[in-house]
Amino acid sequence: MADKNLQFLDIPRSDPPKTAVEARVRDFREIYAPYDAATAAQQAGRCIACGNPFCEWKCPVHNYIPNWLKLIEEGNLFEAAELSHKTNSLPEVCGRICPQDRLCEGACTLNDGLGAVSIGAIEKYITDEALRRGWKPDMSNVQPAGRRVAIVGAGPAGLACADILVRNGVQPVVFDRYARIGGLLTFGIPPFKLEKQVMEKRREIMEGMGVEFRLSCDVGRDLPFGDLLGQYDAVFLGMGTYAPVKGGFAGEDLPGVYEALPYLISNINHELEFPGAAQALISLRGRRVVVLGGGDTAMDCNRTAVRQGAESVTCTYRRDEGNMPGSHRDYKNSREEGVEFLFNRQPIEIVGAERVEGVKLVETHLGAADARGRRLPQPVAGSEEILPADAVIIAFGFLPSPPSWLNEHHVRLHASGRVRVSAGAANAFQTTNPRVFAGGDMVRGSDLVVTAVFEGREAARGILNYLAVA
Amino acid sequence: MPAPSSGLYKETYERDSCGFGLIASLDDAPSHWLVHTAISSLNRLTHRGAIAADGKTGDGCGLLLKRPESFLRAVAAEAGIYLRGRFAAGLVFLSRESGEAAAARATLAAALARQGLEVAGWRVLPVETEACGADALRSLPRIEQLFVNCPTAELDEAAFNRRLFMARRFAEKARERDPLFYVPSLSASIIVYKGMVMPQHLVQFYPDLADARLESSVAVFHQRFSTNTLPQWRLAHPYRYLAHNGEINTIQCNRNWATARGPLLRSALLPQLQEVLPLVSLSGSDSQSLDNMLEVLLMGGLDALHAMRLLMPPAWHGLDAIDPELRAFYEYYSVHMEPWDGPAGVVLTDGRYALCTLDRNGLRPARFCITANRCLTVASETGVWDYPPEEVVRQGKLGPGDMIALDLKTGVLLSSQDIDQLLKSRHPYKSWLKKGVRYLESDLVDPRLAAEPMDRATLSLYQKMFNVTQEERDDIIRVLAQDENEAVGSMGDDTPLPVLSHQVRSLYDYFRQQFAQVTNPPIDPLRESIVMSLQTQIGPECNIFEPAPEHARQVVLGSPILSQRKLRQILAIEEVTHEFIDLQYPPGEGLRAAIVRMCAQAESAVREGKLVLLLSDRYLVKGRIPAHALLVTAAVHQHLVRTGLRCKCNLLVETGTAREPHHFACLIGYGATAVYPYMAYQVLFEMMRGGRVKLDFAARLELGRSYRAGVRKGLFKIMSKMGISTISSYRSAQLFEIVGLADEVVRLCFTGTESRVQGADFADLEADALALARLAWNPREAIAQGGLLKYMHGGEYHMYNPDVIAALQAAVISGDPAHYREFAQLVNSRPPSTFRDLLALRTAARAIPLSEVEPAGAILARFDGAGMSLGALSPEAHEALAIAMNRLGARSNSGEGGEDPARYRTEKNSKIKQVASGRFGVTPEYLINAEVLQIKIAQGAKPGEGGQLPGHKVNDMIATLRFARPGVGLISPPPHHDIYSIEDLAQLIFDLKQVNPTALVSVRLVAEPGVGTVAAGVAKAYADLITISGYDGGTGASPLSSIKYAGTPWELGLAETHQTLRINDLRHRVRLQADGGLKTGLDVVKAAIIGAESFGFGSAPMVALGCKYLRICHLNNCTTGVATQHNVLRSKYFTGLPEMVINYFRFVAEEVREILASLGVRGLAEIIGRTEYLEARPGVTPKQRKLDLTPILSSAGLAADAPQFCAVASNAPFDKGELAERMVRDLLPAIEGKRGGEWSYALSNFNRSIGARLSGEIARRWGNYAMEDAPITVRCTGHAGQSFGVWNAGGLHLYLEGDANDYVGKGMAAGRIVLRHPRRAPFVARHTVIMGNTCLYGATGGELYAAGVAGERFAVRNSGAVAVIEGAGDHCCEYMTGGAVCVLGRTGVNFGAGFTGGFAYVLDLERNFVDRYNHELIDISRIHPEAMQSHVQHLEGLLERHVTATGSSWAEEIRGDLRTFLPKFWVVKPKAASIDSLIDSLRRAA
Repeated sequence: MADKNLQFLDIPRSDPPKTAVEARVRDFREIYAPYDAATAAQQAGRCIACGNPFCEWKCPVHNYIPNWLKLIEEGNLFEAAELSHKTNSLPEVCGRICPQDRLCEGACTLNDGLGAVSIGAIEKYITDEALRRGWKPDMSNVQPAGRRVAIVGAGPAGLACADILVRNGVQPVVFDRYARIGGLLTFGIPPFKLEKQVMEKRREIMEGMGVEFRLSCDVGRDLPFGDLLGQYDAVFLGMGTYAPVKGGFAGEDLPGVYEALPYLISNINHELEFPGAAQALISLRGRRVVVLGGGDTAMDCNRTAVRQGAESVTCTYRRDEGNMPGSHRDYKNSREEGVEFLFNRQPIEIVGAERVEGVKLVETHLGAADARGRRLPQPVAGSEEILPADAVIIAFGFLPSPPSWLNEHHVRLHASGRVRVSAGAANAFQTTNPRVFAGGDMVRGSDLVVTAVFEGREAARGILNYLAVA
Repeated sequence: MPAPSSGLYKETYERDSCGFGLIASLDDAPSHWLVHTAISSLNRLTHRGAIAADGKTGDGCGLLLKRPESFLRAVAAEAGIYLRGRFAAGLVFLSRESGEAAAARATLAAALARQGLEVAGWRVLPVETEACGADALRSLPRIEQLFVNCPTAELDEAAFNRRLFMARRFAEKARERDPLFYVPSLSASIIVYKGMVMPQHLVQFYPDLADARLESSVAVFHQRFSTNTLPQWRLAHPYRYLAHNGEINTIQCNRNWATARGPLLRSALLPQLQEVLPLVSLSGSDSQSLDNMLEVLLMGGLDALHAMRLLMPPAWHGLDAIDPELRAFYEYYSVHMEPWDGPAGVVLTDGRYALCTLDRNGLRPARFCITANRCLTVASETGVWDYPPEEVVRQGKLGPGDMIALDLKTGVLLSSQDIDQLLKSRHPYKSWLKKGVRYLESDLVDPRLAAEPMDRATLSLYQKMFNVTQEERDDIIRVLAQDENEAVGSMGDDTPLPVLSHQVRSLYDYFRQQFAQVTNPPIDPLRESIVMSLQTQIGPECNIFEPAPEHARQVVLGSPILSQRKLRQILAIEEVTHEFIDLQYPPGEGLRAAIVRMCAQAESAVREGKLVLLLSDRYLVKGRIPAHALLVTAAVHQHLVRTGLRCKCNLLVETGTAREPHHFACLIGYGATAVYPYMAYQVLFEMMRGGRVKLDFAARLELGRSYRAGVRKGLFKIMSKMGISTISSYRSAQLFEIVGLADEVVRLCFTGTESRVQGADFADLEADALALARLAWNPREAIAQGGLLKYMHGGEYHMYNPDVIAALQAAVISGDPAHYREFAQLVNSRPPSTFRDLLALRTAARAIPLSEVEPAGAILARFDGAGMSLGALSPEAHEALAIAMNRLGARSNSGEGGEDPARYRTEKNSKIKQVASGRFGVTPEYLINAEVLQIKIAQGAKPGEGGQLPGHKVNDMIATLRFARPGVGLISPPPHHDIYSIEDLAQLIFDLKQVNPTALVSVRLVAEPGVGTVAAGVAKAYADLITISGYDGGTGASPLSSIKYAGTPWELGLAETHQTLRINDLRHRVRLQADGGLKTGLDVVKAAIIGAESFGFGSAPMVALGCKYLRICHLNNCTTGVATQHNVLRSKYFTGLPEMVINYFRFVAEEVREILASLGVRGLAEIIGRTEYLEARPGVTPKQRKLDLTPILSSAGLAADAPQFCAVASNAPFDKGELAERMVRDLLPAIEGKRGGEWSYALSNFNRSIGARLSGEIARRWGNYAMEDAPITVRCTGHAGQSFGVWNAGGLHLYLEGDANDYVGKGMAAGRIVLRHPRRAPFVARHTVIMGNTCLYGATGGELYAAGVAGERFAVRNSGAVAVIEGAGDHCCEYMTGGAVCVLGRTGVNFGAGFTGGFAYVLDLERNFVDRYNHELIDISRIHPEAMQSHVQHLEGLLERHVTATGSSWAEEIRGDLRTFLPKFWVVKPKAASIDSLIDSLRRAA
């Protein structure tokens, strides 16, 4: 290398190789190959170690990105894995599915035309490779604190909470209604983004650390919540948001119109070869599919439909390309895989006599910005058209779906249905019931995996504080 | 008149400097002529002194005479005083109040009586008060002459003097509270006349001096330049024995050790010595303390030669070639006395010897001559009296560490060698040392870096307990070991001061390193390391008056940083008994009580005879917490000094707190003898084990040594910042300012250290330790990640954090005021991080409409860009800044890197041109294209150090502008080699005002205690503008530790400066600027209220241009294209536009207007210095709440209507340069008409900077070079004053027959300077000094021929001039980057240090040049006539031109017999350059 300091110029950013489109749409496997050690080191070496690490600043869990990049550059894999786990309980997951282009890589100083450091791919490399080589979190210094905490929900918030608790000697017991851990990580995110053995490996690691999982146990149904309160020193709720946002237009109930999540879950269950999954599978093979929405879930639906063998997949979004909320990477991959995009189109009706025949769309233009600075789409009069379709997937996002039993246990909600935390509470993420903590989507509304991880970790610190486990 | 104590001004900050001299008759023949000549010589040094605001009061001058016996007898008789055969006379300053005066007389008489002496009588000394200015009159004492008779003939003169000394000491102790009582001299051998008058009025004031009967054979004279205008009568020089020019940089240390050592001193000659402690004045001037110490040594029985060699030894550690016997002499005494290092030139007489000596650095000029009338004259300058040239028998200069002495008894003139010969043979020092001294093996290879490696858990515990972060491990400790150097970084320190922080910060962070600026120089640890030493001894100190073999029993260490092995070795030595003092204590005891207990333990151990106290926190115990090693070390040291035990023991500190050089400097600075940093070794060991330190096997074994080498360099740097050369002169010198510790801590541990704003007390420090202990003993907690150096989430707050950067950039790109308000809100409401954040505007005043406030333009005119060089910045960024500032009506600053002439007179021109120590691209044309010339004395990010531009940033363009070679890194010397003291600065200011009379001269200082006093001196040196920078300023490249630990907040420095200037009635004469971390209008308003009328911005406009505060400026890979010379990054990724900077400053100005409106004032001028507009607001944390910021807001007891800002257009010098003006009148038509011609002038030493006025006029019309084809010849005779031919422009040819003082041809761009001795001179020209020090400094071209020897540091930073001289002093061609120097004779040592370009020929007749050149960067080779024909020709050409120009007979001889001489020449060149390329490159340059 001529000049280490100019490595970012001499060596361009290079993402890990992707499986060719023709091959990858035939199955549900992950499309990115892992880095080899040399490439990882070289790509990590592109980091200029800024005095103001904008990547770390922008990262919701504030990963020590420049520091572990340096460790990888220098070949200290296990130390990098240790460091990576200091701020993130699921780095191999975030490395795969974070919208890095909007977070760390988007903020990377080199992103001004020089090519951001491939932070996500390296993050994934670190943990995958370290685990492959036998690394495990160092638990040798952990002394049991003699406390037990129940965690409801084995999604990112719950797992992150368990991770921090167990590292501090508190025994976490994680309940989930599904048979596998991960929540949406397992059942929402398609395997081509996150293969299911990743979560299996994580389960193995966490169990090795001392986390106990009680799966296929739906708290509130299989087990009264009151029992948890009785048997544990504290409870953490990380149950996500599952109520789909409705379009509010005619035809939503027509056969052939699907909610995004049931669609994705049915497919994953099928891929996991769960009993009965084949019968429940929503297969869109040979269909003309229209996906409504422009977020990450919409992209997941698009690409799942492609892989199922849909005749065509068209995705409509009411704003323009630049205003899409999701990961740009997923959008690009969708396009590569043959998804058609129609921007500035708002659905106003799903048409069809017996079942779906098409979607009525109106063109929009972007009007004034709302309070959050996002410009609102305005319909253009007289621009209606009908897009023919055999199947329509609605992916408008999710709303809080708080279980009914919260109230009786004095866990109060915001008007929107989100769980109220930290309001006057002494400890972070404590609900109005002092022994109950909550975090993740059910607290902040539907958001990124990484923010759920962050909240789960912070809530764990609140719990430790509450339990006086210093 | 003294300042009220509420403010920041203190009289103790006073610094001085001066001109001095000595005239002595070789035959000890008294004459009035000699006295008269001394006075007239003094008068010729007026430009080296300063004048008070009243225009008449000088800073003081005086005469020290060998006793004029017949005169004294005559005046005594006239006064009716009976004198016996042996008598003494002295001058006494008394209170003007007669009762007090009578009491003082009685005290003195009684003290004399107790010594068995009798007062013969008091003579009221005739004085003429007309000679005094108003300031002097205010403090004028009653002056009387005291005569004392020696009662018995058995008392010889020396014994009589000793009794007089004891009597005086007793009287002084008795009259301690009498501010005026002072005895300038009382001796049977000498007498002093001195006062606060200008030299021209001294005779008028003391009519005695005009009395023809007053005859003496020796006169020492002195003219003082004090930095403030409140000097005292007693502080005029000479003191009782000596007069001193310069500063004693080590004075703090010397005073402290003098106190500590007092109890050890025993002399049979002075039985009552212990009753008159302290021996050395702890206040007053440094020279006074030196004089005190000298007096004690003389009275105790040493002679003046011995005493001065002991106090100011030459550099002997680093010189391999030194005589072993002589080395032994110095080494023996080094155990018992640390050097009193200058910069110092001392002249003295005790009646037996008349001598002059320079300290090891030789930074003060001292020229001597012997005239035909057998008279020796030594003075700061040549030509102080008008001796005819043919009567000069011999003339010369003193070099570093040189001494010249006249033995008045024998009439023999002794050289340094004679004196050393004499001294070394007095005792068998060498054999004493051989028997007594144990030199500990230094352990190069130490596989057991940590002989007891800690397991991971233990290491983690220790790291947490001592607050070691991953960041520190990686970026500080690892770098020290891996690179053997301190880590380098860039940008500034944007974190809160430790007392403001919400984090637990290291105690060391509260200590700010002091540094030398203006009144004394830093020294150069890189290029002049031969003067430096870390040698440390362990052993008891003994009585200096009784040389004995057992006093040489010492363990000698090469460095105070111990390895484990070395510590073990020391402790294993049988006679080294030691006491283990555990630094831990149970929290219930309380930190303060624990420290007091440890002091008591130390005291009783020493009383039991323990030689070593081992303070240790090595064995942590749960439930106990460690008291910080620095607190205990300092407290124990102080306690032992107070109890008189310190010199009987040594303090070894085994601590986990010490990891980087600053930590060691603190420990040693507060008294530690040596430190064993076990934590650093453990960390390194673990990193090595874990593969974090990438080294090959051999290097791994030497990891500990490498780490110590890195620390050593850091320590050298810290010491050299204060101008200190040896660790023994640094130990316990307490050269720090404490920012943020409560008085209770300072009183117990750090007595005497400056600490001005209170802060953390023992309870807070204990809480910090407890917090760390809680984490440390919790095995689940990992060590902290860090965040002190770089922003890190959850770590320390950073004022330029990503939010701030993003907000500012959004604002300047959009131009949207709403975005700016978001930015300003982020900054103005940040957690308190600077002192100004704890000062709130008082909003009681009634607001006025915005329209009534002065327009933004008026505010913008007060904004300056901070100096950022082209080199540090890309040309695109540099030009964008210049364009923006020019369009705004503000000023941009060129920085230290020259400027492309194509930018002059365009909107890209930088209105401020900087002159820094490297003098890169400083030419007359550069200087005349400026509205302001800024002398960068110090930079906030790294005061006391020079700039550095890494080689990869020196591309072709940068190299051209800087007259340097592409790819070779450029370092600016730590000192300006023409500013070693305040009068030197006055000279540089004069040089600049001569070349560009219309420019304002600005001087940039960095805040530290005493900066106000320095600023007062700068104002008296006729600067027009003074900038006070805070510690938080930025840098393009600097060691991280300098960024973190030096300099203090500008709030303190600015307030102190404003207050000091006002108290000294100087505020109206200069503009004052604040600089450092200014970001918003609120910052500007607060700075104005504290006292600034002008504002400097560095980082913020850079951020406006796209800088993201990446801190990689030193790597040349700035991705924003702002701070890089990389073509791709500049051209493709720099997106800055002048408009962004314009937007930024307009926003700031508008914010200022809004705030002014809310305060109800119409213009910024109305609030300057009006501190009633600010109030302290309570802090957020307990530490913040304990701060006391009222000193910043003090009005210094002055009325608000006394001047608050500058009221004059410029600060015109006292010296009108009349001869230079006449020359301009004579020559201007020839210049304008480009006609050429020849003129002649006679010069005296007070005709300074001759040629500069002409060069300025030439450059204004013709640039640097365009008049070369029609040159003007100016022929001068006599003694040229300083800076002859400074900034010489093309077309000006200066010829001088005579000799010249310092700085000949400084900054020369082109043209010619020729010097030759007078034709009638009887001495050998080629062996005789013809010009002073630092000639050709920073020259970029032109030719200089001198038929004689040049002084020290000839051609430092020469980058293009061609010179032929016939001999040179030390450090010749230092930092040279271009041009050619031919030396036809002997050179001093350290030739060519830092020499990276150009070449030299040296004629080495004595064949010892090999020992005299610095081997680091250059090699030397012989000239082979066949193979190197071009060099032979080139040399012949030089010789020929030299002969033609000077008529040198020596050069003629060489030329005539070149075949014989050629083999004796060396070609000196940078190692990197090929020999054949040299002449080519010279031709290309020409």
